Amino acid sequence: MSKRVLIADDTEFFRLALKDILGRAGFTIVGEAENGAMALEMAKGLKPDLVILDVVMPVMNGLDAAKAISALKLPLKIVMCTSLGYEPIVEEAVRSGASGYIIKPLSETKVLNTLNSIL
Amino acid sequence: MDISKYKGIYLQEARTHLAEIESGLLSLEKDPSQKDVLDALFRHYHSIKGMSASMGYTPVMRLAHAEEDLLDKLRSGKLSLNSSMATALLKCLDALRELTDRVERDEPLDVEITPLIDELTASVVGGSAPAATQPPAASVAPQPKTEALRLSEVMKVEGSVFDDLLATVGDLFMALSSFKALSHSSRSIEIKEGVHVLGKSISTIHKNILSARMLPLEDLIAGLPRVVRDLTSGSGKEVSLTSEGMDISLDRAILEGLASPLVHIIRNAVDHGIESAQERVECGKLSVGAIKIKAYTRRDRAVIEISDDGRGINRERLRKKAAERGLSAERLASMPDRELLKLVCMPGLSTADKVTGTSGRGVGMDVVKDSVEALGGALGIESAEGKGTKIIMELPRTTSITKVLIVSIGPEQFLLPISKIERVIETGKDDIGGGVFSFEGVQVPVVPLAELFGIAEKARPGATLILVDAGPILGAGQHLAALKVDDFGDEIDAYVKPLLPPISKLWGATGLTIMGDGRPVFLLDVQQIISKAAGA
Repeated sequence: MSKRVLIADDTEFFRLALKDILGRAGFTIVGEAENGAMALEMAKGLKPDLVILDVVMPVMNGLDAAKAISALKLPLKIVMCTSLGYEPIVEEAVRSGASGYIIKPLSETKVLNTLNSIL
Repeated sequence: MDISKYKGIYLQEARTHLAEIESGLLSLEKDPSQKDVLDALFRHYHSIKGMSASMGYTPVMRLAHAEEDLLDKLRSGKLSLNSSMATALLKCLDALRELTDRVERDEPLDVEITPLIDELTASVVGGSAPAATQPPAASVAPQPKTEALRLSEVMKVEGSVFDDLLATVGDLFMALSSFKALSHSSRSIEIKEGVHVLGKSISTIHKNILSARMLPLEDLIAGLPRVVRDLTSGSGKEVSLTSEGMDISLDRAILEGLASPLVHIIRNAVDHGIESAQERVECGKLSVGAIKIKAYTRRDRAVIEISDDGRGINRERLRKKAAERGLSAERLASMPDRELLKLVCMPGLSTADKVTGTSGRGVGMDVVKDSVEALGGALGIESAEGKGTKIIMELPRTTSITKVLIVSIGPEQFLLPISKIERVIETGKDDIGGGVFSFEGVQVPVVPLAELFGIAEKARPGATLILVDAGPILGAGQHLAALKVDDFGDEIDAYVKPLLPPISKLWGATGLTIMGDGRPVFLLDVQQIISKAAGA
């Protein structure tokens, strides 16, 4: 069965790009969140297999969202997605529950390699 | 993956971020401690950086990165915003806008950004020099195109599409006029009914296009805070700009035509109206000057008032300047205040003795008045010395379909607004003596259009006179004037476009319509023509 993915990014540009990449690779996009708080709520309701979290987002940032979602102890994986230069920060996120990270700019290969290694 | 299909969404989001950045920076300048604004600004730069990196727009990414870096230091409290930082950030914003425009036009992104980044770095006084302004090493290599063709989900419609649609409806109205004439002489009920339905449908399309072309004033004035900031920067003046009623919408073409007069009025208010902070305090005013823009509707027209609480227009100086330009002292002395203020719009007359860096570029209130009138509007001025000035613009909200009469002079055709026409008279040449025509016992001045326009008129025994309402120009209770033409044609519904630069100052015309066969025909400015003929 195809994996269910929740995407959280405040930029529509990246949500669209991720949707395209994942859609073509056979993933099912179950939801799109514009901030961490929305992602947390949607993670509870939609039961995704995977949550992709942008780091810099309004209301609740990706790091806080990752911690909150991990604390729910749901059967899902979290992947952080962020810009160049933020590696130290996402590494901290990986220690507190995320399974991996993708560095923007996005490329199809990069995204799929990361996700396949995790799932 | 093929990134080009994301260009539409990129432009849309980037522009949204840029607009937010501008208002954020301006608000931060007033109160640099707003943490939420700093956070939001950081995110906007961050988003632009990320998107630009993905699209391979390296200069945009570098610039946004440098700004993001500065904002990160500001929001974490390592630095606090000073005015040179704000200026540098605004300059960078202009560059980002320019770059975005180039992206849209598929032009090379060769804007010099290194000096801007240097200026940003230099503006950081007291803080540690940010070494992190160097660009990230990774470059965005073009990605192989692997995915299937797919259409973009975002559709943008160029404003010009609506211009074309409206022009087409104008043509439809004209074609309809011909059909109406045919149907009058036809006995077929089907034809009459068909023409009636066609007319209703065209009117509906017309209404829908007009409403699709409407934009709120808000869209136009969004850039004004920046204009005011640039005008006051380093002038020793402080100005607060407030607005009211900006949700009123007008046709795009009218808003466009309003842009330059509006900036000019604001410029006048800042340069000549509002006093320096010190001068204001000395005369018991608040140190910060106020400029208010208020809009409301009056029947189907929009009224926009721009008022300032500055020094007002000095009547004495106005009289002196007008006298220098040849107006007689007696006439000036007896002139009612309202008339006197209108002199501000005399070409070349500016009441400020000093030419500042921003005003006095040879563009005066006369140009403002002409632009507003070219849009079919009217300009009014109220001013109380010592208290301030109010400029009132009354404008049509839509460019519209007007009922006009086609007249011809020699080989040329012109249009006259039906609303001005009292009567059309065919007469013998002998009935016109000494430039006047006797109509129902009244001596009506005859205006020979062929002569005024320098067109050779047709040789024919009689003459066609169009009696028009000249308004109050002629004075002494005289309202009628007779325009002499060679012939008159149909009465039609014409889509009249306002004249826009470079032909906005064309003498004798207020608008232009494109006929069904593609010929442009001018709508005559009855008032202007009669004033000239009457020597007023």
